[in-house]
Amino acid sequence: VTAPKYLAAAALALGALATIAGSPRVHQNARLDVSRLAQVVEREEDHVTALELAAWIRDQRDDVRIIDVRDSADFEAYHIPKAERIALDELVSTPFRASETIVLYSDGGAHAAQAWVFLRALGYEKVYFLRGGLYEWLDDVMNPSIAADASDSAKAEFERVSEVSRYFGGVPRTGDAASSLPSLPVPAARESGSTKAAVARVRGRGC
Amino acid sequence: MIAPFYELGFIGEGASLAVAALIGIAFGWVLEQSGMGSANKLAGQFYFRDLTVFKVMFTAILTAMLGIFWLGWLGFVDVSRIYVPETFLLPQLAGGIVFGAGFAVAGLCPGTSCVSAATGRLDGVAVMGGMFAGVLATGFLFDRISAFYSSTARGPLTLPDLLGVPYGVVVSGIVLIALGSFRLSEALERRSALVR
Repeated sequence: VTAPKYLAAAALALGALATIAGSPRVHQNARLDVSRLAQVVEREEDHVTALELAAWIRDQRDDVRIIDVRDSADFEAYHIPKAERIALDELVSTPFRASETIVLYSDGGAHAAQAWVFLRALGYEKVYFLRGGLYEWLDDVMNPSIAADASDSAKAEFERVSEVSRYFGGVPRTGDAASSLPSLPVPAARESGSTKAAVARVRGRGC
Repeated sequence: MIAPFYELGFIGEGASLAVAALIGIAFGWVLEQSGMGSANKLAGQFYFRDLTVFKVMFTAILTAMLGIFWLGWLGFVDVSRIYVPETFLLPQLAGGIVFGAGFAVAGLCPGTSCVSAATGRLDGVAVMGGMFAGVLATGFLFDRISAFYSSTARGPLTLPDLLGVPYGVVVSGIVLIALGSFRLSEALERRSALVR
């Protein structure tokens, strides 16, 4: 008879204290094992290359979620196939499954790398960012090129890259063809800090 | 290491399933120990004879709520990572009516029907059979009912968000409601014992 009364009193006390304790969420600061993260970065396990990401998309890996952290105008203008847009401030409150592999990208790499730190701090393990951002995607996947006098092994590798590139509507170029296209906008885009010109070029091909 | 362990990647799928199996066995054990494998006992709540089910379930809710609130407050649980089922108003209302009617007719709910069947009661086996038949029928008819199934979506709702009241105030409110209703249900049980 007394045990239920004790339990009721305990529940009452814990309930009453809850009113003045405040929300449990404010104590949920993300935690960061900095030395462990440093090792991950050191081992270069923090990022993927554009070609690796392209292969994942081509292989239709359904455990991979590609997150574009740029603004909606940039996203509407161009984004990596299968990407979804989540702004940085929303990203930290977006629930992901532990089994999902998350790939983050931005124009360059800075915002995506910062987002990587946020998600790692929140405890997600399988998080990567696209090292060179959308620029790298445009350079290596959409506009790959190789010098005409490249070695045979380099050419064999380029053939493999070209296959991935064509899957995404890219236009691989060899030798003089690459250098004879002065309007190839990627270097200019890097300097102006915008992918718009590069994007316009890719979209202009109608892919 | 903070919970939820699976969501935060501390344990893998295998460990998660193993823990689920252990919790399931413990849950079945406790249900049977508290007499909830018996349809007679469960049906008693609809006549205010025996409110054990109500008291056990509300006790479970109370314990889990206080546990999650305080473990979250102490930093052992990331409350924001606990899955909150989404609300679909009309489909869940319809589902609740079907569930309640089935509960009153059979005297068993899904969990207790498994306990009942495991202890060899035939009515438990019948309810489990009906449950799987219903699941299969829903699967086959899903194309036709999917529009209703996903209608009136309200997203994940919680009482603090819905009422605009601080989390802790909701917690203490639920404690008061629970303790009050325990007292009321014992009074009802005593009265119905006197009537008999």
